[in-house]
Amino acid sequence: MRKFSISPPVAAILLAIVLFLLSGFLPNGYGSDINVAIAQATNIVRLAVFLGVIAAGQTLVIISGFEGIDLSAGSVVTLTAILTYVTVKGEDDKVLLALLISLVVGALIGFVNGLGITFLKISPFVMTLGMSGVVTGLIIIINHGNVSGKVAPIMTRLIARPLSPDIPIPNAIIIWIIFGFLMWLLLERSTFGKHLFAIGVNRVTAKLSGVNVTATNLAVYTLAGALAGFGGFLVVGNTGVVFIALGQPFLFPSIAAVAVGGTLLSGGKGSYWGTMAGAIVLTLITSLLTTMQMPDSVRRMVLGATLLVMISIYGRQRGFRQ
Amino acid sequence: MSGVSLSARNIVKRYGGVVALSDGNLDVHSGEVVALIGANGSGKSTMSKVINGVVVLDGGQLLLDGKPVRFSSPQAARKMGIATVFQELSLVSKMTVADNIWLTREPLKPNGMVDRKAMREKTEALLDLFSGTFKADLKPDTLVSALHPDEKQIVEILKAVSLNPRILILDEATASLDSRQVERLFELVKRWKEEGKAIVFVSHRMEEIFRIADRYSVLRNGKTVGEGHIKDITEKELIQLMTEKEKVFQFKKASVEEESSGLQQPVYLEIENLTTETLRGIDITVKQGELLGIGGLQGQGQRDLLLALFGDIPYQGTVRIKGEVVKFKHPRQAMKKKLALVPGDRAKEGLLYIRSILENFLLPSWQKYGFPLKMKHARRDALAVSERLSLVMSGLMAPVSSLSGGNAQKVVIGKWLLRDPDCYLLDDPTKGVDVHTKAEFYTLLTELSQQGKSILFYSSDDDELVGLCDRVIVLHDGKICAELKGASLTKENLIAASMGVSNGGEA
Repeated sequence: MRKFSISPPVAAILLAIVLFLLSGFLPNGYGSDINVAIAQATNIVRLAVFLGVIAAGQTLVIISGFEGIDLSAGSVVTLTAILTYVTVKGEDDKVLLALLISLVVGALIGFVNGLGITFLKISPFVMTLGMSGVVTGLIIIINHGNVSGKVAPIMTRLIARPLSPDIPIPNAIIIWIIFGFLMWLLLERSTFGKHLFAIGVNRVTAKLSGVNVTATNLAVYTLAGALAGFGGFLVVGNTGVVFIALGQPFLFPSIAAVAVGGTLLSGGKGSYWGTMAGAIVLTLITSLLTTMQMPDSVRRMVLGATLLVMISIYGRQRGFRQ
Repeated sequence: MSGVSLSARNIVKRYGGVVALSDGNLDVHSGEVVALIGANGSGKSTMSKVINGVVVLDGGQLLLDGKPVRFSSPQAARKMGIATVFQELSLVSKMTVADNIWLTREPLKPNGMVDRKAMREKTEALLDLFSGTFKADLKPDTLVSALHPDEKQIVEILKAVSLNPRILILDEATASLDSRQVERLFELVKRWKEEGKAIVFVSHRMEEIFRIADRYSVLRNGKTVGEGHIKDITEKELIQLMTEKEKVFQFKKASVEEESSGLQQPVYLEIENLTTETLRGIDITVKQGELLGIGGLQGQGQRDLLLALFGDIPYQGTVRIKGEVVKFKHPRQAMKKKLALVPGDRAKEGLLYIRSILENFLLPSWQKYGFPLKMKHARRDALAVSERLSLVMSGLMAPVSSLSGGNAQKVVIGKWLLRDPDCYLLDDPTKGVDVHTKAEFYTLLTELSQQGKSILFYSSDDDELVGLCDRVIVLHDGKICAELKGASLTKENLIAASMGVSNGGEA
């Protein structure tokens, strides 16, 4: 007899569907109108894209193990959003340049994180927390000169609008699906991904099997920084404005989305599909609570409680570790 | 102090399917030193762990002063006056010497605060026991992490002594001490004996056993096979007692013709003056297709030798592979030169426990499957090797944690078979492996050497070395102390050489 078990990404998606169906009964829910329901569901997934992309880097560093975490993700998002904003200045042909800057700046910050963690042996928590402070300082310096800029029309079209008037699927969701596929390729179909899981489980084994643990670890933080940078680019494309606290609210949910998606916080096991599902669950809960006009304090409590409940369920299922 | 006596009768201890002790016996009384002797894996350390409550026995009886006792924990044994000096140091490195010695038993002031002054004074009194044998920087307030191995060992001894035990177990306590410190310890042991303490002395050094012990107790294969007074026995007789007569396995060595043709085989590996923290100048030459055994007691540098060759730890000296000088700084480089290492601790060094069997097999080989990884191809290769090893599993996607010990070890070996290396470095690959799987390994090793693979095979099982290898080098204290081959390769000579006794030696 096999024990009844369900994979965490599926569990998270089921939770999301159940919650969404229940939300129809709310006084100001979608009621019985199927079109409204679909529109609402689509909108929630669209909103989840930004959290989902920011949580991608978080997924990687958490899989890499040894208390891997990226607390600088939130401030990197703000920084690259501002950089995009001031670079583009409303011109379509500057968009690619802005994207490149976002990726490179994010990667550089991640690289410094990686240097501190691998060579100076600073714990990821402390290193990335410190980096978050440094980046926030940078943002304030930049902001003092009064940010003037504008997002380009093409960004708004690509990120915030639907595919076409006839097909009401937002472009952001399309981007996210492609992005998810690339993440799957990276994690499950590349040597780097296999090495990443290996260092997350056991670094001695990994080294004695020829894995360059130092390089892999360095690469993973660099990549996580670049992905957070990409997140900043997307976020500003959606909001169209920048402010100092733009990215920070994504930080805790980005870790929570990874955990709700079933990635082991101790490393070595997990998936990006799970993180995507986690991002949808968290975004759904947040927007439901907003619809119910719950204050921010209640939203935080409910999000925290969801995280605890999901992780404890996974913990029971997991059985034994070595 | 009144007299004390401890008897262990017919002790049985199993670890899973492995029987560590099947009939262990030991008697020790006030005012005597009993030496507990045995070859690798004979059950010595299990025996001392039974007496001091570290492991719970599965059968038999412990009698303390004639009354049956059962220790549920080391603390319980300590309360009854039994203290142990461990070889694997049990000190907290970030605490001071005094803190370590008095941990959980700190002297208190009337107000319940720790009396640091009393603690320091008591520690100084203890350190005086060894005064003059260590450097001046060993003080009560020194951090343990700043101490040398011998000084740590002294602190370890003092920690046990501070309990003022009735029975003191010295488990390889002399291994890292220098000769002056050993002298001092033996003087102290004499004094403790006169005070009425009973002492169990576990050691590999024959010379020390004959100097300090009054009686001996020999374990072989988990059974006590001889007890008596040390003055009634010679070194040679002791070694014979430790040597097993009955053979469990029929080993198939490469036949004589192949052996003689092996002489013409080209040299594969030359090691000159290899030196690490534990190795002190090793010279070895290994021919292509040779199965070279590495013997000796555990922890004499065998592990370092294999790890240094594989590029995992730094070393001085010259290593040549097929005449070309190599110096690997990372296992990756050694793998490129077609070396493979099966490490000694498969759980901590050989496997990714929560990952699938497939991923464990392919971990060293992913690069050759391109991007995106050709998973069909990878799965086929993994399946082929699992069939070659007759791996018992529910499927390639099952986690390695679902496998038995023997099957898990097959995965460690299998991941190298997939790369088809020229040279295998094996660190005790049959440890904790069931009998059936052991037999399969022996066949595999013989096959590999017939295919022309060079194998460096360290084993803590002397039978394996004698039965499988053409030539065995014995390490003692980081040096090669004997090379046995042909007629001189017998278990008696191997054990004698391991113990540093000279009557084995060269052919």
